[in-house]
Amino acid sequence: MYVPSVTHPIGDFVREWVPKLSAYLPEQLQSQTLDSIVAFLVNAVICIIAVCAVNIGSAPILIYMERKVCAHVQCRLGPMRLGWHGTLQTIADVIKMLFKEVYAPSGADKLMFYLAPLIVLIAPFMVAALIPFDKNLVVSDVSMGIPLIIAVNGFGVLGILLGGWSSNNKYSLLGALRSGAQMISYEISFAMILLFVVMISGSTNLMTITQSQAGTIADWFIFKIPVLGFIGFILFFISSTAEMNRAPFDIAEAEQELTGGYHTEYNGTPFAMFYLAEYIALVTNSALATTCFLGGFHAPCIGVAAVDNYLTMVPGVVWFFAKVFFMIWCYMMVRWTFVRPRVDQLMDFEWKFLLPVNLLLLGAGAAYIVISG
Amino acid sequence: MSATLPPGFRIQRETNTEEFFINMGPQHPSTHGALRLALRMDGETIVELVPHFGYIHRGMEKQAESMSYLQYIAMSDRQDYLTAIQNNLGVVIALEKGMNVGVPEKGEYIRVMLQELGRIASHLVFYGCFGGDLGGQTCLLFGFKEREMIHDILEEVTGSRLTTNFFRPGGSRYDVPDTFLPRVKAFLDHLEGAMRDYERFLSKNIIVLERSVGIGILSKEDAIAYGCSGPVLRASGVEFDVRRANPYSIYDQLDFDIPVFHNGDCYDRYKIRIAEIHESMKILRQCIDKFPKEGAWRSKEKPVRLPVGRYYSEIETAKGLYATYVVAATTGEKPYRIHTRGPSFPHIAALNKMVQGHKISDLVTIMATLDPVIPEIDR
Amino acid sequence: MGIINYAPKILDPIPGGKYVVNLVDYVVNWARANSIWPLTYGTSCCAIEMMSSSMARYDIARFGSEVFRASPRQADLFILAGTITRRMAPAIQMLWEQIPGPKYAIAMGACTISGGPFIYDNYAVVRGAQNLIPVDVFVPGCPPRPEALFHGLLTLREKILKETCRHPWHVGRPKDVSTMDRYREAAKTWAALEEMKDEEMAEARAKFKEEHPDYKSSFKPIRIKKEELPEVPRTPTHKGGLTQSELFAKLHAKFPKVSVHTHSDSPIEEVVAQIPADHPLEVIVDFEDYLPMVEFLKNDPEFKMDFLIDETAIDYDDHFDLVTMLRSMEIGHKLFLCVQLKKDFAIAEEARPTSLLASVPTISNLYPGAEVKEREIYDMFGINFEGHPDQRRIFLDKDFVGYPLRKDFTHPQMIRRPV
Repeated sequence: MYVPSVTHPIGDFVREWVPKLSAYLPEQLQSQTLDSIVAFLVNAVICIIAVCAVNIGSAPILIYMERKVCAHVQCRLGPMRLGWHGTLQTIADVIKMLFKEVYAPSGADKLMFYLAPLIVLIAPFMVAALIPFDKNLVVSDVSMGIPLIIAVNGFGVLGILLGGWSSNNKYSLLGALRSGAQMISYEISFAMILLFVVMISGSTNLMTITQSQAGTIADWFIFKIPVLGFIGFILFFISSTAEMNRAPFDIAEAEQELTGGYHTEYNGTPFAMFYLAEYIALVTNSALATTCFLGGFHAPCIGVAAVDNYLTMVPGVVWFFAKVFFMIWCYMMVRWTFVRPRVDQLMDFEWKFLLPVNLLLLGAGAAYIVISG
Repeated sequence: MSATLPPGFRIQRETNTEEFFINMGPQHPSTHGALRLALRMDGETIVELVPHFGYIHRGMEKQAESMSYLQYIAMSDRQDYLTAIQNNLGVVIALEKGMNVGVPEKGEYIRVMLQELGRIASHLVFYGCFGGDLGGQTCLLFGFKEREMIHDILEEVTGSRLTTNFFRPGGSRYDVPDTFLPRVKAFLDHLEGAMRDYERFLSKNIIVLERSVGIGILSKEDAIAYGCSGPVLRASGVEFDVRRANPYSIYDQLDFDIPVFHNGDCYDRYKIRIAEIHESMKILRQCIDKFPKEGAWRSKEKPVRLPVGRYYSEIETAKGLYATYVVAATTGEKPYRIHTRGPSFPHIAALNKMVQGHKISDLVTIMATLDPVIPEIDR
Repeated sequence: MGIINYAPKILDPIPGGKYVVNLVDYVVNWARANSIWPLTYGTSCCAIEMMSSSMARYDIARFGSEVFRASPRQADLFILAGTITRRMAPAIQMLWEQIPGPKYAIAMGACTISGGPFIYDNYAVVRGAQNLIPVDVFVPGCPPRPEALFHGLLTLREKILKETCRHPWHVGRPKDVSTMDRYREAAKTWAALEEMKDEEMAEARAKFKEEHPDYKSSFKPIRIKKEELPEVPRTPTHKGGLTQSELFAKLHAKFPKVSVHTHSDSPIEEVVAQIPADHPLEVIVDFEDYLPMVEFLKNDPEFKMDFLIDETAIDYDDHFDLVTMLRSMEIGHKLFLCVQLKKDFAIAEEARPTSLLASVPTISNLYPGAEVKEREIYDMFGINFEGHPDQRRIFLDKDFVGYPLRKDFTHPQMIRRPV
């Protein structure tokens, strides 16, 4: 029986209380195996609920945030009427989308058509389960965290390809093909950067990676290796933007060219799922950037004890989300500032620039580690 | 393959890859209105493009036959609605030729100033659509932001934001209010800074350069052969501007340059419009200085009756050469026929020449830099 | 969408159930009314005002409607911005059918309400969007200001808030284009109402006179002193290239048959000399001379007419005038050629409106830009261009009957302008 080595407080709480409760059962039912199974199931349910809550709960907040950031970049106000400064706007959007008519185009492959949005949703959810939110707040602390993330992230492409292909629409197909080519290309540099992180930290476990950034700001991987760390962070930022299909690399949706790309034919709830997946991917990628480069849940200590004491009093999870939202804000500002490159230019950029730079970065990082010991 | 080509497609070629057809429009975000483009694609690359017009063909020329000359001025608003005030002048100059009336100096200054304001407004929309079609939604809003100030001025002068219907043979409908000059001055001062920001935003952006330099090249010979005009022609290296070649109004008394670029690609077509905004600002500043304080703003009102004959006028709108051809078969208030030559029609006709071999994303860029207005094509 | 429509049937009979239904109604309507995503659709002037309304000054985002969707499948609201032509009508109905319910339509601008400026003598414009799809809100104006569009949006919001799942939203059927003409009925009703009002007013006036026989109005018109406006002479200017007389002399030497439009008996040279400097010279060309002359004008180093400004036609009783407007980019002069094409009256009279009546060689091999212009003339006048590479209708449907710019053209949907 595999019991995951969960270290979060709720898991401990469950493991502690399930045997105590089972003591009230008839004796012939009491067994250690049963206890561990029940504990595992309860634990799993709680974890699933937690991941869903974090992901799905953050999506409306992010959509609201995106609309406000976008509006203020563009000298507008953004949603104002519904609730205080339009805070309820996305909730109205979600309810409306749930009660909207759903249909598939006549030539579509119905099964694949409705399966695609679900597949797209899987990847970010699984990544979210691996992220350490605090010292002992992680759903699944697997030792092969980074390889798992690389493996799972590729799943999203499948959903987009399926969605575009099954819609029986040429725009969708073009969008899906673009997206497939783009995401598979950028997967490589995405993986390379994570490899760079693994090389510095010496571990593939995300908790270990975070813990090795403990200390002051200078210990964060973005600053730990001079210059190289920052370059790595920038490269991660670029490749994760492309990985998420976000503007300026949103050639797969490209509203001006393809009227929506792979989700042209989707409406109602399936479309909402694509929308949701986009924003959950935003959260998980920001969380990954935070974990790998910005010191995870560690407070931004500056080495002065008087200040640091106050900073460390704030729970790690607050710092974590503060950094995540800063990252998200960066992604949004980039989205509303730059224009979109062409599809072949995007590929050229990856294969002719990003990948060589990544390889050089890996080599330089290795040299630095060997020299500095 | 060639035997089954839909009507309009002509290029014969031996291909090993399978081609497919894409229909863009009439409802598509980047066809700038109700234009339909049929694309023959080889993967992402465009082999051939056939434009289909007529989705906004409103039969204006048929209607004009039962209208009076004055009523047709209002029709001209609805052709190129981005530069409605310029179209008004095009029609009015043709009528003035027939009626043989002139315009007093103040009236001419009012005309020129409104012309240039309209030109700036149209080019600002171009700036926005260019950025927006490249994927930068923020540019779209920036372009429209300054345009609203022009609309405020136009609304104060003409009473309408978009469809102005302002000029009349011999002058204009009303005199300008006292606030006109200070407002234009304030607007110019504001635009100076704003344009600096906007140029910094797009002109040197590496992605914009990558996507527009060398894209959609229209050679000088092709540009002339297809009858392109305005910024599209000047970006291909032909120095032709009606304001210089056949000066109307008081353009021959004003000091301004005709910007000419020589590559004929999307970037040049973008740069030339930015340069034209600066030239228009120069003209406006001169007009503010020279604006006559006294004197009549229009000549004596006469009934609009044209003697038998054919009258032709051409002006330079923001899009290019806008010509009006009026046929009066009997002396009276109604035309026998009015024909309008809009600048966008030849540009779209030349589109196929420009997009061949480019990607579908480039088509969007090229469409944006041609800056077509479809109702003016279809009329 | 389907499930909540069953809620009232199940819940209403249960005591207290109707409050649950009311609650569901309230929440769903609240969401629908406040999150209206419009479709990116616009054909003409109104589209620009629609764009303006989503821009920084007016900002439709305040009402949560800034999410303009390019795909109809994700939109809720169809803002019909701009004139609807008969050619566009099927596309509009298709778009409407593709929007998933519940869907709403706003007819923006005079053209989509009644045809607006294009009501009379028009064969191409659909008189009102309500003839095609069910419209919820009409926003008048030509074009309406962005504020008016917002008012329309808020009116739609109020309308949505009154919906209930007891009488569920249903898809309105697209309507037949050709048979319906609500405008005429509305005009009739309006005229009847006006008549009634006139009668009432006359009665009221008579009654008032009876009651106040000595009443005298104290109204005095104020006379505004009319501005003294001068008569300003026009000063034509000539710039660049050969003058009209030079042009005509050179052309006359090569093609002796050319002449100009004239109403006097004076010699042609004098007539040409009297043309104002800024009027382009328009010469009447013999049919045989047309193609050689265009070739000559294009290639001759003295003329170099390399730029085709435009090509158009004029319909007269027995002939068409084909006007070709040429310009020299390098030298700067303009020359208009007018060819008279005799109508082919050998065709039976009833077949004439639908058949090509004249034929002329194409010049699209000399000027590529002439190709679309000649297609337009073919479409509008029914003139055949020999050797044209792609002679199809350009603005009208391929099954359109007749050639609209001919003077004898009639169309069942055309309303005469009342004089």
